Amino acid sequence: MNSYRSVLLRGVGAGGIAGLLAGLVGLFVVEVPIRAALAVEEARAATEPVEPGGHDHGELFGRGTQLVGGVLAAVIVGLAVGALFATAYAGSRRWFTDRPPFSRSVSLAAAVFGAAALLPAIKYPANPPAVGDPNTVGYRTVLYLGVIAAGLLVVFGASYLASRLGHLSRPVRSTAVALAVIAGFTVILLAFPAPPDAIPEDMPSNVLWDFRLASLAETATLWLGLGVVFGLLIDPAVRTRSGSKAKATALGA
Amino acid sequence: MTSPAHPLSIPIPRWAYAVALVALMVTWLVLQENGLAIGHAAESLHEFFHDGRHALGVPCH
Repeated sequence: MNSYRSVLLRGVGAGGIAGLLAGLVGLFVVEVPIRAALAVEEARAATEPVEPGGHDHGELFGRGTQLVGGVLAAVIVGLAVGALFATAYAGSRRWFTDRPPFSRSVSLAAAVFGAAALLPAIKYPANPPAVGDPNTVGYRTVLYLGVIAAGLLVVFGASYLASRLGHLSRPVRSTAVALAVIAGFTVILLAFPAPPDAIPEDMPSNVLWDFRLASLAETATLWLGLGVVFGLLIDPAVRTRSGSKAKATALGA
Repeated sequence: MTSPAHPLSIPIPRWAYAVALVALMVTWLVLQENGLAIGHAAESLHEFFHDGRHALGVPCH
């Protein structure tokens, strides 16, 4: 139960399940605004046939194949981040040490969602097809990964700070750590440069908004799903049969 | 309140770093690869995972 190997397997399994759920959110929710954005792209291609530097979507693969690819991308990424999450969980010495494994898992996943998905979504919101400029994709990738790295650093720093403030009462400590996290995230949001691309005028703002919200739903499903499923797999209290017994294991021990 | 039933830190073997590296590389290939690592084949990869990349909020052209 406590070997790294078994923790890793649970992480990969939880990641696969969460990835599949996220992929289904992608298929049924995110695809709606993606379809609307592709219609904008097609309308644009009809008026100006040759777009310098761009390439035609759906030339290599049909839309059906790309739908499969979208779900598969979420599943594969789920498996991979599941392995990383399990490793981080196994190595964590300071993360909510007084909580049962389920709470530790869900809170860690929520924190990683905040730093690696919500924070970049606020600074560099996701864009549907027909928005990004192919010439800036390298720069945008660097900025995006930079925000994620900085956000994860803030989460790591917060758990370190919490362990150093162990002498304070719990409410005071929580407030201090929360203020530090807000300060860290604020600095990141202010320090990183604005997104380089302007939104094309022919992209309806409601398509943009729907897409960004839907994209956030998919990443939230991935991360929170991972935290919940991994927590269920890792917490021995889950396998205690009666509810009262489970409670006793979680609280007493 | 720390429970002895679930020790906080589990010893991480050396090969775990290889696992982490593979996981990062897989994530890179699916979400980010645009020709840096595998050259021209990246275009197929990019197009196949195109919807997934956009949906997961990754910068795309």
